[in-house]
Amino acid sequence: MSVAETDMSIAVPIPADERKGVSVSRRIWRAAFASYEFRIGLVIFAVLVLAALLYPWLSGINPTKMNVAGRLQAPWFLGDVWNWAAPLGTDQIGRDMLVRSLVGLRYSLLIGCSTVVLMLIVGCSLGTIAGYYGGKIDLVLMRITDAQLSIPMIILAITVLGVSRPTIPAIILVLGLSSWPVYARVTRSVVMTERKQEYVRAAQVSGASDFRIMALLLAPLVLPPIIFISVLDVARMMIFESVLGFIGLGVQPPTPTFGNIIADGRKYLLNAWWIATMPGVFLCLTLTSINLMGASLERARNRIHGGA
Amino acid sequence: MASQPVLSVRDLSVELRSEGRARRIVSDIGFDLQPRQIVGIIGASGSGKTVLSRALVNWIDPPLAISSGSVTYKSQNILDLPPNRLRPLRKEIAYVGANPMGALDPTLPVGSQIVEKIRALVPGIDTTEARRRVVDLLGAVRIPSPGARFHEYPSQFSGGMMQRALIVDALATNPAFLVADNVTQPLDVTVAAQVMRLMRELTERFDTAVVFVSSSLPTVSEAADQVLVLAEGRIVERQTPRKLVERPEHPYTVQLISEIPQIWTDSAPVVESPARTGRPLIRIEDATRTYRVRKRGTFASFSDVRAVRNVTFDVYPGENFGIVGESGCGKSTLMRLLSRLESPDTGRVVCDGEDIARLSGKALLKFRRDFQLVLQDPFNSLPPRTAIGAIIEGPLKVHGMRGADKRRERVLAVMSEVGLSAALYEELPLGLSAGQRQRVNVARAMVLEPKVLIMDETLSALDQTEQFKLLKLFSDLQARHGLTYIFISHDMAMVRRVCNRVAVMYLGEVVEIAENGKLFFDPGHPYTKALLSAIPTLEERRYRPEECLLEGEPPSPIDLPPGCSFASRCPKAFDRCRVESPSLSVDGKAGMAACFLLEGGPASIAA
Amino acid sequence: MFILSFLVRRLLQGALIIFLVTLLIFTLLRVVPGDPVRLMAGGMAPEALIEQIATEMGLRDPILVQFGRYMGGVIQGDLGQSFVRPASGASTGGSGFGDSSRGDRAEVLTLIADTLPMTLQLAALAIFFALVFSFLVGVPGGLAPNRWPDRVAFYISSIFISLPNFWLGIVLALLFSVKLGWLPAIGYKGFAYTILPAIVLAVELAPILIRNLTASLASVMQSPFISVGRVRGLGHRRIVYAHALRNASVPLLNLLGIQISGLLGGVLIVEFIFDYPGLGLLTVNAVLQRDFPLIQGIAIVTSAIFVLINIAVDLIATLIDPRLEY
Repeated sequence: MSVAETDMSIAVPIPADERKGVSVSRRIWRAAFASYEFRIGLVIFAVLVLAALLYPWLSGINPTKMNVAGRLQAPWFLGDVWNWAAPLGTDQIGRDMLVRSLVGLRYSLLIGCSTVVLMLIVGCSLGTIAGYYGGKIDLVLMRITDAQLSIPMIILAITVLGVSRPTIPAIILVLGLSSWPVYARVTRSVVMTERKQEYVRAAQVSGASDFRIMALLLAPLVLPPIIFISVLDVARMMIFESVLGFIGLGVQPPTPTFGNIIADGRKYLLNAWWIATMPGVFLCLTLTSINLMGASLERARNRIHGGA
Repeated sequence: MASQPVLSVRDLSVELRSEGRARRIVSDIGFDLQPRQIVGIIGASGSGKTVLSRALVNWIDPPLAISSGSVTYKSQNILDLPPNRLRPLRKEIAYVGANPMGALDPTLPVGSQIVEKIRALVPGIDTTEARRRVVDLLGAVRIPSPGARFHEYPSQFSGGMMQRALIVDALATNPAFLVADNVTQPLDVTVAAQVMRLMRELTERFDTAVVFVSSSLPTVSEAADQVLVLAEGRIVERQTPRKLVERPEHPYTVQLISEIPQIWTDSAPVVESPARTGRPLIRIEDATRTYRVRKRGTFASFSDVRAVRNVTFDVYPGENFGIVGESGCGKSTLMRLLSRLESPDTGRVVCDGEDIARLSGKALLKFRRDFQLVLQDPFNSLPPRTAIGAIIEGPLKVHGMRGADKRRERVLAVMSEVGLSAALYEELPLGLSAGQRQRVNVARAMVLEPKVLIMDETLSALDQTEQFKLLKLFSDLQARHGLTYIFISHDMAMVRRVCNRVAVMYLGEVVEIAENGKLFFDPGHPYTKALLSAIPTLEERRYRPEECLLEGEPPSPIDLPPGCSFASRCPKAFDRCRVESPSLSVDGKAGMAACFLLEGGPASIAA
Repeated sequence: MFILSFLVRRLLQGALIIFLVTLLIFTLLRVVPGDPVRLMAGGMAPEALIEQIATEMGLRDPILVQFGRYMGGVIQGDLGQSFVRPASGASTGGSGFGDSSRGDRAEVLTLIADTLPMTLQLAALAIFFALVFSFLVGVPGGLAPNRWPDRVAFYISSIFISLPNFWLGIVLALLFSVKLGWLPAIGYKGFAYTILPAIVLAVELAPILIRNLTASLASVMQSPFISVGRVRGLGHRRIVYAHALRNASVPLLNLLGIQISGLLGGVLIVEFIFDYPGLGLLTVNAVLQRDFPLIQGIAIVTSAIFVLINIAVDLIATLIDPRLEY
């Protein structure tokens, strides 16, 4: 077999990177960064994040300040005159839509990222343990993930949040704890194949403890590619956060979030359609940028990890 | 040569294009293939022989590209033909490769895929007719019950069986010529010998000319009418096989021939046996290991895979003990038992008077320190993301050696001992050759100063030259540190060169244990003879494959037939062998074998 | 024989999964703060009355006792009665808290049975749209890695996956229903009302399918048997349709099985937006009304659907690829 493989290696040249021993994660990163998709995503994302951080502060507009006189103003591209004071118009009680959207973006990103970190921690550690030990531990953990995967996570989330009070930590906790199974499964399957590799056996024979093998040998190898893919889940979690907000179970008003802005705007759909749709455009742009980056990473990972 | 050649190759060059550069893989190849002729091409791994054989059937995909030359069949250059005109020609141009397991769609039955090919290439043949032809041919390559096998899936075929099915696939359309690229390479030696015999028979029957590509000179020289020697993509010598072996001209050929192991000749190595006195270093007593697997398609019934059965032997200090056998014979399981990665179900492994299954804590760590394992696969046995120094240092940390400086010193000492330059300390293993990787493996094992090294197919991924160097290293280390080696291998020639005592395994049992000389010159067990008959060598064979082995493959370790496990393939089997199972009995003073013939079967009565 | 033992094993596993789901939801509902009786009786009701109702309903027993009682009912096919819905007007949007005496509260099973067919119709149409679209986009993408069809598939899936379903629902309703008047959107008065929600769900599902299909088709096209097939003389079309797609469909099927629960989650929101009288709308209202028995019943039914669909998916996958064994 191995001779056949060396024969094949003539046909498939080893990339210069690999010969030089550049780490897999760095190669994935480089390959992704080299693609247009990733760069487009990165630029859009950077602009949006900068805007979200700076604009509300620079403009000095309070996102919750009402202004009944200036309510339901149209965005700049619809009005007869350029409306620079509120470029995206105002809502039913005259709050500035641009500032509200950008503040919503902050919460959305905060919740999306923290949730994914939580998911990663819980999912990857349980997955590593299940994949490494196999047997009964694996059986129990996998049945639990089966059960969790079999009910829509949104049902779990709204059940908990609907019955208790939705606060930011509660939202993060609920979203994170109801979606870790996917990570547990992926990690488990990678660890299971990796565990059978001979270098793991070599470590066992030399007397290394299980924890040592998992934490020092397997984790650095198995986790980075999974973490790359988790970028996609930041976007997914941001969607869930906005869904929760939309049905009234997200961060509560008056704090603006995409979900509650759109839910409010829905009542004014016929006479002020921009309230419901414009924040969505922001959300979609952000999500697209994250997804472009995440998908480029995933694709680079498939190309490089599949061959390594 | 009055007749028109079937195939003529002129100035053929193939290059590899990547990162804006082009590198020649195969250069200026030219030869003719006459009708019914077998042309052998011999080359080491990396000599470009797979690329060449693919170029002959116009199967060159990027990043490879044909840079010049022609392959002329029926007065057209097949390299220039557009795909739609080339495709009908596939009927007459056949190819069999080195990787039988991946060659067919895993989701469809083997038979129907061959029928699919016939129907795609032979217009007007109906399915029933094609099906009949395939079943006939499957029978002709001696696949048992071809009618039923026709409907089985690729995953249900063993490697040897699959290779036969692919030969059927290649010959089913009566091709004018066949390119056989390293067809026996992935197969066990006894199965490879059968497949070779079959290829010769069939190409004669079908009047097919053959280009036979292989890395094994003995195999090629037995099969071919003419041999081309390929080195670094060029043909360096062309001869008839006899002349090539007797009077090689090119230095590369000379070296190639000199590296072919000597088994029975006078220049074959003699391995000294240390005195077997005192307490054995490790003793395995009647050990059995059974795995339970779920029976396919049942709810809760399991079947037992009896991987190791009633194995007993001792290894004494300073020995080079060999364990040989073909794939599936249980040698890897035995390795796991010896290194306490697993424990036997019954029986025990004793070391220093203690059952190693009972060891724990400090005592286990002490055992681990004394018994180190060097693994088979140079690519998977090193963690890819760790620097070489850190890999070798790992065991020291585990065993609690204090002081980073002391550890580093020790690591560098071991590295120099196994011939790794200190400059590699900070490097990752990715750039290393297979040979260097195995040195890292050896260093990692040696760093703890063990008493025993278990070598699990440690050399099988290396080419002959590298093997020589590492074997030299092993004997140096042994001389210096008084090591004991246990070699687990499928390579009889390697075992002949280094082991003083050898255990032969078949289907989980040790069928023979003998000293080196006894085993190779006067084997007690028919299976040992079969193994010896299949060693690829240029020497006059002591044992002919035709006499030593029946057709067929080892039975599955799940449904073991009663009686001697070798009975189904043994040419000397008689009634008792199918009922009773023989146990190891003394065979002369240098060995033991498990065969009834030794204790007065019909043969010895007749004699 | 094989099929039978497979079914028995998988159904037992499925029963275990459903049991775990029930246990999980049941515990969650009781551990998390928020008293349903308070909601039922109204904010003004005195503490004593609430305690009395709760004790009558068995809500003050230990959780294990409650769970045992509940499971006993479930095994006999009794999912209990809704806390809040009257038996008569089991309208899905209903928010009228009728008289909560035990006799005329609605059976959970009836409530679910009334709404489930609507949801199945919606989900089936959505899967159909998603599959057709994914094949149209994904197959060319998988056959031409790194060339324009692949890029098109990449951008389409990246953009589609970034459209939150509730927002897309609003935008599409605004566009096709309000502005253009092509399709009806709110409520349900005939099959046409299913189309717009199904499109929204398909947009949510398709990008995942497209990605999986392009990736697995591209990787199957790399397998040795594809290039060997060419050398063996099989035509390109045959290789792609009879072999490559066949092999690539197995991971796609598995993904579809896993995505069922994601789809049901999407159904929830989409039905809420379009006021589509299905299981999703029922769920949202049940949660908002803290209707514990109804939430539990829905969880059991959805996980049962998930289990059954996955058994079917695995069965089909084993038929396609005999190496698989479950």
